[in-house]
Amino acid sequence: MFEQAISAMASVVVDPYLLGLIFATTILGVIIGVLPGLGATTGAALLLPFTLTMDPVHAIAVLATIYVSATFAGSITAILINTPGTSAAAATTFDGYPLAQKGEAGRALGIAVISSTVGGIFSVLILCFAAPLLARVAYEFRSPEYFALTVFGLSMLASISAGGAVKNLIGGIFGVWLSTIGAERVTGIERFMFGNYELYEGLHFVPIFIGLFAISELLVQSKTVDKIIKTVSMKAVKLPTLEDYKKIWKTILRSCGIGTFIGVLPAEGATVASMIGYSEARRWSKNKKEFGKGSIEGIAGAEAANNAATGGAMVPTMVLGIPGSGTTAIILVGLMVHGLRPGVYLFTEQVEKVYQIFGSMFVANVMFMLMGLYAAKLFARVSLVPTQILWPIVFALSVIGAYAFQGQLLDVWLALIFGVIGFFARRHGFSVAPIAVGLILGEMVETNLQHSLKMFDGAWWMILTQPLALMFLVFAFLGLCGPVIFSWITKQKD
Amino acid sequence: MKNIYLVPLILSIFSLAVIAIALQLDTSPEMIVGDSMQARSFPIFLMILKLILIGILTFQFYKNNPKPVVLEKYHTWGSMFLFLLFYLLTVYTDMFIGIFVVIFLMSILWGEKRIWVAFLTATITPGLVFLLFDYVLKIRFPRGILMNLYYG
Repeated sequence: MFEQAISAMASVVVDPYLLGLIFATTILGVIIGVLPGLGATTGAALLLPFTLTMDPVHAIAVLATIYVSATFAGSITAILINTPGTSAAAATTFDGYPLAQKGEAGRALGIAVISSTVGGIFSVLILCFAAPLLARVAYEFRSPEYFALTVFGLSMLASISAGGAVKNLIGGIFGVWLSTIGAERVTGIERFMFGNYELYEGLHFVPIFIGLFAISELLVQSKTVDKIIKTVSMKAVKLPTLEDYKKIWKTILRSCGIGTFIGVLPAEGATVASMIGYSEARRWSKNKKEFGKGSIEGIAGAEAANNAATGGAMVPTMVLGIPGSGTTAIILVGLMVHGLRPGVYLFTEQVEKVYQIFGSMFVANVMFMLMGLYAAKLFARVSLVPTQILWPIVFALSVIGAYAFQGQLLDVWLALIFGVIGFFARRHGFSVAPIAVGLILGEMVETNLQHSLKMFDGAWWMILTQPLALMFLVFAFLGLCGPVIFSWITKQKD
Repeated sequence: MKNIYLVPLILSIFSLAVIAIALQLDTSPEMIVGDSMQARSFPIFLMILKLILIGILTFQFYKNNPKPVVLEKYHTWGSMFLFLLFYLLTVYTDMFIGIFVVIFLMSILWGEKRIWVAFLTATITPGLVFLLFDYVLKIRFPRGILMNLYYG
């Protein structure tokens, strides 16, 4: 198994086509990451239709490379123009931009590049070891456990991205309801199709995701057309000095652990990881006063954590079929479209492909490090592409991408409708990621609940007698009600 | 009624409508469903859960009194109108005519003052994307004025 894994990972390096693909995608990912508004999730949603004709490993490698490189690249604009290219880089602005304003933009970028690379590689290594172990545990799962696990995943939506727990849960439930559109799987009864037989097999994820992430972002960006972007000057990216390393190595290691752990939690992603990584860096720092004024520990804490979350988020995605973030939701769709069914089967029957994907992520981390060090200045210029040119192009890619998936115009209309729905949701403080995750998990929840009910002759409470299922449901309950209960207890004590 | 309560109201109406539609769904014979659920049960359960959450959201709005959402400028509403225009052009002329017109008008709407830049973007982008999807990915596009000329 170990030898097979190593040889599969090594095969990435000797495959010139795959290497070239990762190289080109890394450039694209960095460009996507530096363009404000066009983050990893939107980028992956736009690129998904392009991967349809590729070999499964190549397709997932492309999507995973976009994920890791765009997550890193968000820091370039966060440091140079105080605008995070991705939400995961928001915490990087706290200290990255102040340091850049002091004339040390190159040093800030150098710290960000090294921290991101260490975080990314650390998480890929953890992914390589943790995923098969988790798959072995998941081998014992039956319908009650999967049902409880998906409920746990949905409960974690309460804390996914901004918007507030209640709004996120409403979004998640809306997403789960969307998954009920089409013919019901056991009885074949048509639900919410209104006579439209193109919906018989349900809503397809690709056009919905293009709408929710790309087209809704286009409408959100239309509000920023008057915004003037100011860049700070930068000479060259500097590698951190020995003194810098001494100052940040503990922070990087801590954030690697935090980021990977947060990433592994279902429905949690790089944004949450970077915020926690940053606040923990501040909490443990001897120079707390420097934070907010250009602390290199702050940059390292946020950047190592957000890239560490990318590998972590791939663990539940590939092992359990539960996406760790909006981008991994798209990667999950990519896996399904290419016939790679996430779960135990993937780790027993298609080990080689799995490790080739892990190997690709490893190579992508190294490639974005080189690009970050030697071409960050060039990439930063891309962020100055006028919005009035960029977003109409995104519109074209979105509608053609939605059409290309199945060759149906209905998918284009669905993408546009969900773009508008996504925009109005975001306008009122609802995040779109819970809708996407709910849509993916919806079928799993319903199917496993049905199977569980059949297993226990309709006695739903018997699910609670299964130790693992009970554990997941308790976690879900604590995740949802824990903060309320704890704050009530604290108030009572006060 | 304050504007902030419009969102919970719309969500509630939507949930009730889904429940009403779900109640009209066919039921399966007992021998097929067995001890499991009818097709209507799960969506109804979801909407009840949603209505409870909407209740909590309304209570939060009542307690916190959030600021009403500021109305967007014409760029946003204009872009949505362009989506509608794209639909009409695609259905009645050709998808690529729709894409060309929308890119061109969207660039202008969003503030591009150089007409030739907007025109070039509107011409080159769909052209390149068409070549990529047609030649490399072998996707056949829907028939329309231009596609009929191309496919014959």
